[in-house]
Amino acid sequence: MTAAADARSRPAKPRPSLAVPLGIVSFLVITWLAVSREFGIGLDVGELIGNLTRIEGLLWRVSTDQADRGLLNPNWPFLPQTAEPMLETLQMAVIASAIGCGLALPIAFFVSRVTTPNAGVFNAGRSVLSVIRAIPDILYALIFIAALGVGPLPGILALIFFNVGVVVKLLSETVDGVDVGPIEAGRASGASRAQTVRWAVMPQVLPNYVAYSLYVFELNIRASTVLGIVGAGGIGRILYREYSLFHWSNLSVVIVEVFVFVILIEFVSIWLRRRLV
Amino acid sequence: MINFENASVTYPGGVHALRHVTLEIPAGQLMVIVGLSGAGKSTLIRAINGLVPLTDGDVIVDGVSVRSAKAGDLRRLRSKIGMIFQTFNLVKRTTVLNNVLMGRLHATGTARSLLGWYRPADVEIAMQALERVDIVEKAYVRAANLSGGQQQRVGIARALAQEPRFLLADEPVASLDPPTSHVVMRDLQRINRDLGITTIVNLHFLDLAKVYGERIIGLRAGELVYDGNAAHADEHVFRDIYGRSLTADDVLEAKPVV
Amino acid sequence: MTVASPRTSRPTRPSHAKRNLGVLFVVLLIGWSLVSIDIRYERLVDFPRGLWLVIYKMYFEHGPDLGYLGISLEFMLDSIWIAWIGTIIGAIFSLPIGFIAAKNVSSGLIANAMRQFLNAIRAFPELVLAVAIFVPIAGLGPVAGALAIGVHSIGTLGKLTAEVIEGIDSGPVEAVRAAGGRWAQIQRWGVLPQVLPDVVAFWLYRFEINVRAAAILGIVGAGGIGFIIEQTIRFGRFPRAGTALLVVILATIVVDTGSGWVRRRIIEGAEKKAVAAEVFERIDVAGQPV
Repeated sequence: MTAAADARSRPAKPRPSLAVPLGIVSFLVITWLAVSREFGIGLDVGELIGNLTRIEGLLWRVSTDQADRGLLNPNWPFLPQTAEPMLETLQMAVIASAIGCGLALPIAFFVSRVTTPNAGVFNAGRSVLSVIRAIPDILYALIFIAALGVGPLPGILALIFFNVGVVVKLLSETVDGVDVGPIEAGRASGASRAQTVRWAVMPQVLPNYVAYSLYVFELNIRASTVLGIVGAGGIGRILYREYSLFHWSNLSVVIVEVFVFVILIEFVSIWLRRRLV
Repeated sequence: MINFENASVTYPGGVHALRHVTLEIPAGQLMVIVGLSGAGKSTLIRAINGLVPLTDGDVIVDGVSVRSAKAGDLRRLRSKIGMIFQTFNLVKRTTVLNNVLMGRLHATGTARSLLGWYRPADVEIAMQALERVDIVEKAYVRAANLSGGQQQRVGIARALAQEPRFLLADEPVASLDPPTSHVVMRDLQRINRDLGITTIVNLHFLDLAKVYGERIIGLRAGELVYDGNAAHADEHVFRDIYGRSLTADDVLEAKPVV
Repeated sequence: MTVASPRTSRPTRPSHAKRNLGVLFVVLLIGWSLVSIDIRYERLVDFPRGLWLVIYKMYFEHGPDLGYLGISLEFMLDSIWIAWIGTIIGAIFSLPIGFIAAKNVSSGLIANAMRQFLNAIRAFPELVLAVAIFVPIAGLGPVAGALAIGVHSIGTLGKLTAEVIEGIDSGPVEAVRAAGGRWAQIQRWGVLPQVLPDVVAFWLYRFEINVRAAAILGIVGAGGIGFIIEQTIRFGRFPRAGTALLVVILATIVVDTGSGWVRRRIIEGAEKKAVAAEVFERIDVAGQPV
């Protein structure tokens, strides 16, 4: 084999593509722009480190005001006042998740290549979906508050819109990848389009759908804790109020509460996911 | 009865999958189609229930023209035609019974079918179909947990649940081992005889074609090149249809040449 | 197998007790929430009209406010810078942290501790981080926003990176170890090449999400377009709010499309590179063409 091999020359090393160095250069340029003072946000690490000393008064402070002893001294007597808003946060997240995920299921079938009835619906649906997903949940809340007034209702509606965007995108991508054999069998047996989707496609994506719903529920829990900042119900209102009053100890209680709440839900969600698999 | 009248299918890429096929299949016959891959067997079978649209000519099934059938008429027609597939096409994640019940969807209203509330009469039909292929004990088992042969039998049960007048089988045993292939072919034969269902089977194993078919037709490059009794089909006939000499891949159980 | 074969008796329907109980619990939870929340559902009928009114005031009453485009773009750019820097902070720190948090690379105990730490960080929404920690430290403005997003991103990216690392193929790792590599070399040559495409894809996806988060932070004074949207709506300057909203939508879609394109090319590139590398290997290792 050696004799024959010597006769063949080694291939030339392929020329490295321009893409990588080009990518790195543009990345550096953009980053430089981003941290600069004139174009970007003016990030000065030295200044930041100097500011760290400011935290001290924030974390710990001697004061007669129970609400203002610093972040590391939570004002526990404040807790009962937060109970109701916290409950409202949970309720908002549950309702929005239920309605949002419920709506997202049929909608996803309309914007998936495999199950869409025609190209017009598909393209229109995809475009509308892009726009819906491009608006953050709190912006929805602001708009809906302008339309409806403050309270948890606009908050729930905002979360629903946000939900539908996320789940439809995830679910339609899953549907795009299903095994089409059962679909052919369904159509061949004389079943209608809707029936075929229900029995040949849905069973294939149901586990994913449940996982996405749980994921979105977690997102909603996090989001609903802050929606209150703009007046859309939940603990966010209290959070922002104490913050603007500089009641760091009260704020600390709220933060711990939010933290415990989110972690708890996450444990439940992990447990649920393990049992479902 | 099925009538092909000068039926042709040309795919968008320009491939002539079926050329001017004229054929009459009387009710209750068990007909086998043989031919090389790409000869048009799958296309011919799918032209019968409209899964592949015709570009010329027509196929008349029990007096209904497939080419001019509108959506509702096509569905009604398809409900009378059961189909089984080489890859079984079962919904793996759900139970055997749910798969077979898909055969009853054509007779179930939208609301009921979306919720899964089949009528007891329909469930009975599904159960009987499972009994006919001798697999009813697996009714509540997930389809994914079955062997290939068992899955194909479920596929047959699903087709039977439609209470069809016709049965189309597209390479039903290509993915199965020899003993299981014989079981499935015997099931099809039995169904054809006992229930009088017109059965059309694509096969590329020539020994199976000879054993189980009443009538064999051969396709080459989309054209009908042979149409005769299974008893008269021998090696020469098959070689003509294939346009080449036969190999061991063309039979299910190659007999040693001694 | 003949018609006369004895009938096997039909199986009984299995009961799904646990599943049904779970479904019941969820339904009850939803029902309780619907009933006990303090909302007057009658207000829902006002929603379509109210929403249309807002849209009308934004775009149709006096026509869209194109003059506000400049300011909107300026603030949106700030949001994009915030997201950019936040994502970079997240990426830089999450890579080593991801290694530390991966059970198959570092010791089980340390990995677990790090995982818990990451969970802790992730539990705080960016807004809370901004409000409670970074605005007090860095003052009002985009720097606080970038830091808030950065820290939160370390949490999410760290967890995702660790999961990707835990999912690798051990073959290349063993190969480097067998060739006598030290721990750092094993990571650099055995682990990193496998995880890099997925990890970079996560960075890009995180960037898309961070742009949305950054758009909001302005509401609490941490910089970006959220500030002007909130202000314009609060003071009823709807045409301006409408313009700003449009800028957010368009900028987000552009970022999504661009990021998605780069992500796809990275994943494809990784596959092509793997094939090419394999070919080269077969030649170099033998010293002669195979």
